[in-house]
Amino acid sequence: MEHFKISDLSFSYPTSGDAALDGVSLTVNKGEFTVFCGKSGCGKTTLLRHLKTVLTPNGRRRGEILFCGVPLGDVPEAEQAAKIGFVMQDVDDQIVTDKVWHELAFGPESLGWDQKRMRSAVAEMACYFGIQDWFHRDVSTLSGGEKQLLSLASVMVMHPEVLILDEPTSQLDPVAASDFLNTVRKINAELGTTVLISEHRLEDVFPYADRAVVMDGGRITVCDTPQNTGRILFEKGDEMFKAMPAPVRAYYSASGKGESPLTVRDGRAWLENSFPNGAKSVEREVSEYAPGGRTALKMKEVWFRYEKDGKDVLKGVDAEVPEGCFYAVVGGNGAGKSTLLNAVCGKIRPYRGKTEIFGKDIKKYKAGELYDGCVSMLPQDPKYLFVKKTVGAELAEMSRDADKIIRTAELCGITELLDRHPYDLSCGEAQRAAIAKVLLTDPRLVLLDEPTKGMDSAFKESFAELIRSLKERGITVVAVSHDVEFCARYADIVGMFFDGAILTSDTPRRFFGGNSFYTTAANRMSRGIFDGAVTVEDVVENYNANKGLQR
Amino acid sequence: MTHDAFSKCHPSVNFVFFILAICFGAVFQHPAYIAAGIVSSGTYYVLLNGKKSIKSFLRLLLLFCFISFINPVFNTRGDTVLFKLFSRPYTLEALIYGASIASVFVITMLWFGCWNKVMTGEKITCLFGGVAPALSILLVTVFRMVPEMIRTAKRIVSARLSIGKGGAEKLSERARSGASALGALASLSLEGSVTTGDSMRARGYGTGKRTSFSVYGFRRRDGALMILVAALAAAVIAFAFRGATRAVFLPERYFAPLSGANAAGLAAYCILLLTPTVMHIREVISWNISKSAI
Repeated sequence: MEHFKISDLSFSYPTSGDAALDGVSLTVNKGEFTVFCGKSGCGKTTLLRHLKTVLTPNGRRRGEILFCGVPLGDVPEAEQAAKIGFVMQDVDDQIVTDKVWHELAFGPESLGWDQKRMRSAVAEMACYFGIQDWFHRDVSTLSGGEKQLLSLASVMVMHPEVLILDEPTSQLDPVAASDFLNTVRKINAELGTTVLISEHRLEDVFPYADRAVVMDGGRITVCDTPQNTGRILFEKGDEMFKAMPAPVRAYYSASGKGESPLTVRDGRAWLENSFPNGAKSVEREVSEYAPGGRTALKMKEVWFRYEKDGKDVLKGVDAEVPEGCFYAVVGGNGAGKSTLLNAVCGKIRPYRGKTEIFGKDIKKYKAGELYDGCVSMLPQDPKYLFVKKTVGAELAEMSRDADKIIRTAELCGITELLDRHPYDLSCGEAQRAAIAKVLLTDPRLVLLDEPTKGMDSAFKESFAELIRSLKERGITVVAVSHDVEFCARYADIVGMFFDGAILTSDTPRRFFGGNSFYTTAANRMSRGIFDGAVTVEDVVENYNANKGLQR
Repeated sequence: MTHDAFSKCHPSVNFVFFILAICFGAVFQHPAYIAAGIVSSGTYYVLLNGKKSIKSFLRLLLLFCFISFINPVFNTRGDTVLFKLFSRPYTLEALIYGASIASVFVITMLWFGCWNKVMTGEKITCLFGGVAPALSILLVTVFRMVPEMIRTAKRIVSARLSIGKGGAEKLSERARSGASALGALASLSLEGSVTTGDSMRARGYGTGKRTSFSVYGFRRRDGALMILVAALAAAVIAFAFRGATRAVFLPERYFAPLSGANAAGLAAYCILLLTPTVMHIREVISWNISKSAI
């Protein structure tokens, strides 16, 4: 039985001539779990929004959408509200009311349910999602993960048949994102709700999905089972192959044939079966990171807490960052990593300890001097940096030197975007524009707070390229991040932040090679088979070398 | 948060009680009634706020003195001249009248202080939810939006600080930077409200008649309490119409005597005002008894 039948749907926004959707045809069956993937701006969001009339954007449209055999436009809005649940990307703004219980009740209230029906539905959902403990709390006191779970619950309370999720985890940290996606999976498995989800983080949803839909330029390029999708993308040499889960990438890159493993478990089985007599690891020169001498940032025994009677957030942080390197701090959620950055850029004052920036005590920098050609920080969400009507005006706010602006815009690849409104930029473009603003202060030390949050794989790569060119200019980059895969690949030194201090720091290869849980998927997959393989490329290299030995 | 028995009653009971207490407090100027008002509102205020109430009491005392002593400066009626101020008589009668006005003021302040603790936003929206669902949801969205905007503002300021904007620059530049930040706040909030609107409509907002989910059940206990409050209030009003609360300050002092039927009126007033206090204390006692039984 089909739930949605989309035939030859084309759409273009009134402001731009290009088609946002171009001849999309797709059938979604009842109870199916479908993942939509593709680069930012490929039309995923536009397509998903077409599946609910009130969210459908304005513009020119051709084609037809049937919901349970009826044209979607003919299904009454109240019925759509109950039957088609939609969870959006924005964690804060999609919550309407101030209390958790009221948010849960909002949908039923709007549909005019009576008190008794509402009570049982709300109670049931609160239990199912395990939110009875925070039932009476203020929404503003919830964490990002809790908020997104609340949004999901307040949609599920109306017992929808279809659940549509548009990049629901892009603003969450990996742990909260995993939790959220597991809940979605549970809903699909236990309630049989049809799920349509668009995601960048494919590791968690890919193994479970019935179908993967890959989009590019408003068209569906692949629509197949997850196993086949990996193979087709590899054979086509498609850019989206880089977004596939690590086991898929390793398998096909090592010229595997047929169905690939999707999970770390299956990936291990594949490697173990390939080398039943054990494997030899490729010897690799593990060198100390030794740049040219000078220290950009030195922290000694830094202690800090927000309130007089509160808990210490920083408990004796020691760190040393050599000039011109990319230093990444990884660690759990809410552990105080952002606080650490705030201490470095002088926004908070530690009550004990010493912070030196380029050999000078941070307390000796005069007001404003620190930000003038020395330290600059990119906030977690770049949108908070934008205050003007065009990107060009944003840059002009930072500097009067027109040549410098042009050079920086070129470096960040935003020359074509100068006339656009900052809010109209995609996530990746916004990040680049924000970096340009940061760079216009001529910093020697750039601080990045969760820079890869919400980025797709293609943009992560060009972002890494940007960091590399900063390093070439002698700029030191310090980032705090949850993105283990990104840090493993591109950082020079990785530090583990735990319990208020940086416990260990080392080169990524030694750091992640030594961890067993807090490490990359490629490392978890090859642990005990190959030593010190941290990235997918390492695994493939080891695999090929050992296959060569077997022959 | 302290547990308060009266706060746990249905919001309508809380609402009716406070409206009555505040209105009566503002109207009755008879010294006995004023005393009853100050004692009962003050006790309940202490029960709700604990140690923090000392500070508020000091502040109210200052206010009381100020109003009392300032009144005779403008009001020169009365025979008992205490002294002359700027060649105008400063009379005892006016001073007493001022004190009574000040007391009325203090009583209303105290009741409003209690109101703040008992009538949370949730309760107010619940009350309106039944009568005017549209107004209620509007209130709720405002309650949600205000902290959200404050947070956004903080984030903008913090983000700009870390690129060296809005910090220690020249005053003119700081003003300009502040204006930019304010503009950004407005546009970000606008962007956010578009998403909120989508989210509301996606969940059926505006498709039909709204109902209102209530976390507060109206129990028999609430009904009984409501009847008690209404009966006492009716008695107080009836006696007031018979002149039990009559108080004249100028030119000559006259207070209605507290004998006979008038005493019953005052008693009704005291019982009414002390209801929350009695409920609170009773719960504390029964809790302590059951605790000692363990």
